[in-house]
Amino acid sequence: MIEVTGLHKQYGTRTVLDVPHLSVERGACVALIGANGSGKTTLLRILAGQLKPTSGTFSTPQPVLYLPQRCYAFRGTVLQNVLIGTKNKREDALSLLERMELAPLLQKEARSLSGGELQRLAFCRLMLRDCTLLLLDEPTSACDSHAAELLLQELQRYRAAQGCTVLLSTHSRAVAAQVADRCLLLANGRASALRSEAGTQCEFSFD
Amino acid sequence: MDAFRQAMHLLFTLDPELLQILGVTMRMSFFSTTISCLIGLPLGTLLGTHSFRGKAFLKKLLHTLMGLPPVVAGLLVYALFTHYGPFGSLHLLFTVRVMVIAQCLLITPVVTGLCASYMEQSAAGILETARGMGLPSGRVLLLCLTESRTSLLSVVLSAFGRSIAEVGAVSIVGGNIQWKTRVMTTAILLETNKGNFSFALALGCILLLIAFVVNVAASWIVKEARYD
Ligand SMILES: Nc1ncnc2c1ncn2[C@@H]1O[C@H](COP(=O)(O)OP(=O)(O)OP(=O)(O)O)[C@@H](O)[C@H]1O
Ligand SMILES: [Mg+2]
Repeated sequence: MIEVTGLHKQYGTRTVLDVPHLSVERGACVALIGANGSGKTTLLRILAGQLKPTSGTFSTPQPVLYLPQRCYAFRGTVLQNVLIGTKNKREDALSLLERMELAPLLQKEARSLSGGELQRLAFCRLMLRDCTLLLLDEPTSACDSHAAELLLQELQRYRAAQGCTVLLSTHSRAVAAQVADRCLLLANGRASALRSEAGTQCEFSFD
Repeated sequence: MDAFRQAMHLLFTLDPELLQILGVTMRMSFFSTTISCLIGLPLGTLLGTHSFRGKAFLKKLLHTLMGLPPVVAGLLVYALFTHYGPFGSLHLLFTVRVMVIAQCLLITPVVTGLCASYMEQSAAGILETARGMGLPSGRVLLLCLTESRTSLLSVVLSAFGRSIAEVGAVSIVGGNIQWKTRVMTTAILLETNKGNFSFALALGCILLLIAFVVNVAASWIVKEARYD
């Protein structure tokens, strides 16, 4: 379960994230939506332990897996990329890549993949590892609709197997509607009026 | 031109003294470079990828050490290893080993500093991804190193370049002893002082040749894998 209180991030004098309170129950899947620069990545990076907040406290279950918004391909083939730091996962990796329709690219140099292929690869790298909290930053932003469909199916499969909590950011209402139990709208950043008005955060159900 | 002909002559007649000097030079540079890189690359990666208290001070210190004059390093090591110095009982003065030690003192800060600034600039994506995958920190460090290997090669090569070209520290702690601690640079210095300009120039040509061969070999070793 995620608990956040008074989380605040500033760059210089500019506040980019201000979340007075947020709690996500165990096993839930929450979609983070909001305009460019509204602080989605900032929030996810803080929860992933990769960015220090200016003030505030939060607690997250461990271990955490985090998919950055910008995907990085390590040296080596697609298969080697997926297997980095794992043991005895070759069979699992092969069937995972098969399901994600990356099987034809198995032996291809990962750095030569297209944007959408790379995004699926980066997602697959996480799907071979265990976690209790999964943080995904726009996991389908580079995917075509079919690839996005595959990815979300795989996500549901992983959730069922792991029982983990998921927090994902997206610009697609369709993606949010398909996998999320509820949505969290981040609306701060540029408009300071909005920030003081809404306290940067409003929650609403998606049904 | 005369010098070049003389250089070729020395090389192809396998002049025994030249070969011995070359051997000492290569041995010294190899160990200095290897040890400096074994210490400096991981340290630089750590420094470039972590933030902690006192980091700014550490970087200033490092930059100062990067500019350490070779003769000062030589003097320092000399003082440590001289007969009455703290390590005098090791009897290392005027050996190749102590030359390597002095060079490491010079080169390690350079490797560390260059590696750290490279990592600061370009390891962010690797770090974010590798940490996001939940990899242990040792593994993350290793990934940073292997992912940047082509860029780090130039760091290694500049370390080697500094080592093979360095004369101040090496002549102080090594003593330029014939058949023992004489290396290319100290030999060149000696021949120049003796007025043997063309011989000194010949040695210089050979030194240049070595540097070229090492560069070619190194870039061949870490050659980029071509994409399918
Ligand atoms: N290192 C930084 N220094 C200064 N400002 C930053 C830094 N990182 C992010 N910001 C600012 O913080 C704000 C929030 O950025 P963030 O990346 O969280 O937005 P986002 O919601 O993920 O946007 P997008 O939908 O484009 O991915 C932006 O206005 C950005 O300019
Ligand atoms: Mg973002």
